[in-house]
Parts: sequence; structure tokens; C-alpha cells
Amino acid sequence: MAELATLPPLPDEKAKGWEFTDLSELDLDAYEPAPADASLGAAEGATVLSLAEAVDSHPALVADRLGALAPSDDPFVARNEAAWRDGVLVHVPAGVKVAEPIRIELPLDTEGAAVAWRTLVVLEEGAEAEVWEHSSSTGDETDALLNSVVELHVGQAATLRYVSTQDISERAWIFSSQRARVEHDGRLDWTALGFGSGRGKVRMDTRLAGPGSEARVTGGYAGGPGQHLDFDTTQVHSAPNTFSDLSFRGVLAAGATAVWRGMIRVDPGAQGTDAFQESRNLLLSPDAHADAIPGLEIEADDVRCTHAAAIAQVDREQLFYLTSRGLDPAAAKQLIIEGFLEALVERLAEGPVREEISAALERRLREIL
Amino acid sequence: MATPEAVAEKRELAGINADYKEKFGFHDPESGYAYKAPKGLSREVVESISEYKDEPQWMRDFRLKALEHFESRPTPNWGGNLGQIDFEDIHYFVRASDKNSRDWSEVPDDIKNTFDRLGIPEAERKFLSGVGAQYESEVVYHQVNEKLEAQGVIFTDMDTALREHEDLVRQYWATVIPPNDNKLAALNSAVWSGGSFVYVPAGVKVEMPLQAYFRINTENMGQFERTLIIAEEGSDVHYIEGCTAPVYSTDSLHSAVVEIVAKPSSRVRYTTVQNWSQNVYNLVTKRAVAEEKATMEWVDCNLGSKLTMKYPSIYLLGPEAHGEILSIAFAGEGQHQDAGGKIIHAAPRTSSSIFSKSISKDGGRSTYRGLLEVADGASESRSKVVCDALLLDEDSRSDTYPTIRIGENDADVGHEATVSKIGDEQIFYLQSHGLDEEEASKMIVNGFIEPVTKELPMEYAVELNRLIELQMEGSIG
Repeated sequence: MAELATLPPLPDEKAKGWEFTDLSELDLDAYEPAPADASLGAAEGATVLSLAEAVDSHPALVADRLGALAPSDDPFVARNEAAWRDGVLVHVPAGVKVAEPIRIELPLDTEGAAVAWRTLVVLEEGAEAEVWEHSSSTGDETDALLNSVVELHVGQAATLRYVSTQDISERAWIFSSQRARVEHDGRLDWTALGFGSGRGKVRMDTRLAGPGSEARVTGGYAGGPGQHLDFDTTQVHSAPNTFSDLSFRGVLAAGATAVWRGMIRVDPGAQGTDAFQESRNLLLSPDAHADAIPGLEIEADDVRCTHAAAIAQVDREQLFYLTSRGLDPAAAKQLIIEGFLEALVERLAEGPVREEISAALERRLREIL
Repeated sequence: MATPEAVAEKRELAGINADYKEKFGFHDPESGYAYKAPKGLSREVVESISEYKDEPQWMRDFRLKALEHFESRPTPNWGGNLGQIDFEDIHYFVRASDKNSRDWSEVPDDIKNTFDRLGIPEAERKFLSGVGAQYESEVVYHQVNEKLEAQGVIFTDMDTALREHEDLVRQYWATVIPPNDNKLAALNSAVWSGGSFVYVPAGVKVEMPLQAYFRINTENMGQFERTLIIAEEGSDVHYIEGCTAPVYSTDSLHSAVVEIVAKPSSRVRYTTVQNWSQNVYNLVTKRAVAEEKATMEWVDCNLGSKLTMKYPSIYLLGPEAHGEILSIAFAGEGQHQDAGGKIIHAAPRTSSSIFSKSISKDGGRSTYRGLLEVADGASESRSKVVCDALLLDEDSRSDTYPTIRIGENDADVGHEATVSKIGDEQIFYLQSHGLDEEEASKMIVNGFIEPVTKELPMEYAVELNRLIELQMEGSIG
């Protein structure tokens, strides 16, 4: 663990990647390191342990994997490395298919708390599992800070579904660095919802490291007054015949801002790459603001890489159509917004995940509308 | 089996290739220069340029202020690699002849030879319009046809404009691109020389495109032209800039500033075909403001240079203004084309589009870098950005960095980008119709850039297609 004195300085607004997220009001010393009162869940076939415990009980496994994906030159990852006490290890042995979802609940309810959290998921060859991680606060008044680092190791021919839902206090800071590495023929299906937090940055990086690996990343966010939501996603293709498909959709009410930055990187030699990313924002008010910075860096030629970004308001023609059918304008507007988000839900396989995500989006919409 | 036409065309193309060096890669003797500043940049050099040109005090002060900006700013560390530019190893001013010629017969012979090889008289015959040809740092030949003058259009080199239309120049000078805008614009502001000045009075439509040819001809000599175009209310003008540079053994720097003011309901199109030799750093700042109901269009084709960093921008300042950027970049071996565009919607009901097409080959790197911003209050604005990139081999690289900033919900903005190689099925289809693979590839690439080339005057479109075909020779393996 790094010494506090040697930690990289916090980025200013000129630092690459931080141009749109103002940290000048962040005073790290104002937050007191606090334990995470997390519930880790369990499922037959998987090892689910407190990470601190796992350091002792599974030393080799943890030593090989912990910190292998998260870059410690990131100022918040470095601080997490120095400070984390609580976290979870999910380990699924080779060939084991875990039927039940593993649910991890991470509350953030103590005023002034700085929680440093760490998630390490390791799926060995051919394993299958579903991990849900939910961070939340009971109200929107708590001023706290969550710094989490998530590392997802998807082994050869393994399949991981990882669902991360965040609904912490709208006054809290969030800094989260989430990284996945998918090996030969591995599959990752990653869903993230961002509803809470006042300011911060959430990074979601996927590396298609083995030939034939695949990742689908689906993100949804909805912001209300005073919130600034920041997502930074990367899809790195470093092996041939890999596939990635990323879709983010956000709804922003009055006083909300969001920035999404996305990068598809194709390394030399990663021939046969098929990569897609899109970001769509719906602005519900003239006082909402959205930035989209998609990016492509392609160093192989036998590729198909596409991105799309769109920022728009509720379509007036659609609104007109619905009101002409007798809906009142508010209901019509809500229907259109739900339709906009439905495109995200449809990306998910039918089942409890899809239903819960859909319900969570509906609840959140009622809050901000 | 190649068709006879294709064989003939191939021979013709090979012919173009063969005499490139002879045609463009020559040096004229440098002994005839009237004045050449020592290498390097200093207050003294800037003052001597200004003194030599006998400029008014305000321009001298402007240059010196700009020099301070240049010296106080770091070299940009984004985009391409600028680390190899030695700003002290450049001549900042070279003057080829003492006087500006309005009449062709007065142009010195060796300069005429250069223009002959560039085919300028031909272009002149075709367009019968004003031709401003920049040879070395100054426009030496300039002709505005009588019709233009009768319409009140001013089309002259910038040095002359400063002498003859000082008030007009001063009114608009650096109002679009201030000298502290960026390091290279500051450099240009300090040492600028030549470039074009265009003034189109209200309601005047200039029928023929105005053209200027630019050349760099002295080893280690920078070219810092400055162009200002003012289109008064309801006017219409198309300006064309095309460049061909000789081949040199050491790196050369081209850093222009182009400012355009499009008044209400005017329409300005600025077309560039850039084909600098592959040792030139082409670092250009181009910006236009479009007032109410004005239309501004940049058509930007980047084929040459070692590194180009150029992002023509449009500020839509008046309601219902419209901006368009069409961009082609071709990056071959050793080249990095870092191009794109910026559009800022700052008024209601403004609209814009950016179409970018890039091709990378033989280890070349093409980058689209753009900004699309809808500012607070620019309600009911619409924009569409489409970037397509073709990669012709596995050694080449393509980057896309668009930035979209929306501060207004009543806006409709879309961006799409695609990177791919030429589809096997496209090649197969054309081969099944009798083309060989190389011909098929050329055809596909020309089809790929066609949405932009169709906006060019025909001569330029043909030249561009040929240049790209040339670059494609032997590329299919």
C-alpha cells in the first residue's frame, strides 16, 4: 500500500480526463475514514469473503489479482490502495456455474464518512456467475465520500454478469474505478445505473484480452438538481476477433449536468475487432447540460468500429402525437422518456435483472420529474 | 484483367507520379532574394519585419505584443508531436521581389517559371478571376479582374491591404482570432507576411471563386500568411486556397491564420486543398464568425505535410446562422493528419453539420478532432456530425476525438463515426465486374470521399481524386 505522502496530487481542471469535472470544492481532509457496513451475500458454488480476510485465507489468489487491473497512477485508485479496509472477494472455481445472484449491499449513511471500498471478482475457466453490487444512502442529505475500486477477472470461457447500481446521497462524492479483463472466449455482461452522488467520476474500463472474448456494457443514469454525473468508459481490444458493445443513456432534469467520455482502443494485431459505443442524452430542461466525448483509437485495419452520440430534448412531434391521442402533456412526456430508457432495458436478457433494472429506472424517473 | 482504359489511366497516373520531383521538387536560386531575415525569432527580427514593410505603429505594437504571447506559452503537447520544431532554426521573413506586380509581364522570370510548373496561368484562364499567388513570403503577382473591381470587391495581398485599406483592415484585424488565441496564432501574429485580404460589399455576389496559390520555397523558411475575408450583408464569395510545396531535406513550418467575418445573410465558402511536401509542419488557425442568417462553409482537404494540425471553426453568432465543415484527410507513410473542425452555436435556431472522411495508409495516422458546442440560449439548434475513417493496412492508425457540449435542452445534436477497412465483398463485387483489386480499391476510396469532392470545383475534384489514386498506387497486397 502506498504511503499517503507519496500519493499523486488531485487532478485540476486541466488534467486530461478531468476537464469537465470540477474538484476545487473537494476537501478530502473533511471526511473521516470509516468502515463500510456492507453485506456480502452468498451463493452456492462461489467463495464470497471479506477481502481483508481473503488476503490471509487466499493469499496467492489475492496477491495475483488484487491491483492487477486498477492503475495505481490514478489519484483516487492510489488513495483507495492506501486506505481500503473493507471489500469483497468473489471467487468462482473453474467450471462452476453459480445459479443464484451474489448480492453485495454497500450503504453510505454516515455523515462525513470516507469509505474506501474494494471489489475483486475472479471467475476461473468456464465459470459462470452473476454479481450484484448496490451502493445506496437512505436519504439525499448525507455528505460523505465513496472511493471504490472494482476489478473483474473473467477467465477463459467464463461468463460474468455484473450489475452495479448506485443510488447514494445526492450530496455525496463518488470516485469509482471499475476495470474488467476478459480472457479467451470469455463473456462479460455489465450493467451500471448511476442515480445518486453530487459529483465525482465513475470509470468503467473493459479489456478484451483474449481472442474471441466479448463484452456488453449497458449504462443508465438520471440526474436531478445540483448533480454532476461523470462517466468515463474504455473498451480496449488487445486480441483478435473480439467484440464489444457499449450503450449509455441518460436523462437530465433541470440543474443536472452529465459528462460521458468513451474510448474504443484497438491495439495493433487485434484484427477482426467489432466494437460499438453510443451515448444518448435526453435533456428535460434548458438548465440541463450534457457533454459527450466519444473517441476511437484504431491501430488494426480489419475492424468495424462505430460510435454514436446524441443529445436531444423530448421530441415535439412525438409529444404532439401522444397528446392528440388524449394523453395529458405530463403523462405523454413521461411515456416518451420511459421509451427512451426502455432501449437500455431491452439490451438485458429477460429475467429478474431486467425487471429490477426497469423498476429502478421507473422509480428514479418519478423522483426527478 | 485490366481494361484498356484502366491501363491508360494507370500509365497517366504513373506519369504524374514520375515527374513529381521535377515538377514540384525544385529549388529556384536563392540569390535573387531582396531581403531575408536571419534565422530565429527576437524582438529585433519582428521590428525589422515591420520596419521593412513600413507598417503603421499599431501593427508594430500588435506584432510585438503577439511575440510576448508566443514566448510565454508552452508548445502544445496534444495532437501531433511538435517536439522536433526548432523555432530558432527558421527564417521568419523572406521577400522574393521588391514590388507587387499587377501585370503578368512584370513578374520576374524565375518566379514565372515556378508558376508555369504549377500551372497557374492555366488556372487563371479557367477562372478569369483574381489570382493571388504567394511566392515566398509575399504575394508578388496579383490580378483582380475588372469586373470584381467594378463590383467594389477588394481582393489583394494582406500587405497591400494594410497600406491601401488600413482603416478597413484595422477594424477587423484579429477580431476573430486574437493574438493570444494559441501559441501558433501568436507566432503568426508576430511575424505574419502575405496572405489575402478579401472584402465583398453588401449584396455583391462574386461569381467566380477567388484563388490563391501558396508556396514555400526557401529551405528552413516558414510561411506565415494571414488571410482576412469580410463578407458584408447579403454577399456571396468562394475563396480557394491550394498549396504545393517543393521537396526539402529539413523540416519546414507553415503557420497561417485565416479570419472570416460573414455578416448577416451572407454566404462564404473557403476551400483548401493542402498538399505540402512531407516535411512541412502545417499548423493553421482558421476561424469564422457567422452572423444572422449567414452561411459559412469550410471545405478542407489535407493530403500533404508531415503533420497537420488544423481545426477550422465556425462561431454561429446570429439567429439562423448555418455552418458546414467538410473535411478529407489522407495520411500516408510518415504522415499525421490531425484535422477536424469546431462549431459553436451561440444563437437560437442555428444549424450546422460536419462531415469528415479520413484514410490512413502505410503507417500513416489520421485523427479527427472536433468540438460541437451548443451554448446556453442557442435554443432550437441542430447539428449533425459524421466521421468515417478507412484503414488500408494494419500498420496505419485512425483516431476520432469528437467533443460534444450541450447547454440547451432545446437542441438536437447527433454524432456518428465509423472506422473500417475496405469491405471484402465490395472488392469482390467490383472484381466480378472485371476490375483488378487495385482499381477496385481506388474506386472504393474515391467513392468514400465523394460526398466531399462533389462540393469542390471540378478541377480540384479531379486533381484530388488523382492525387489520392497516386497515393493508392501499389497499396493493395
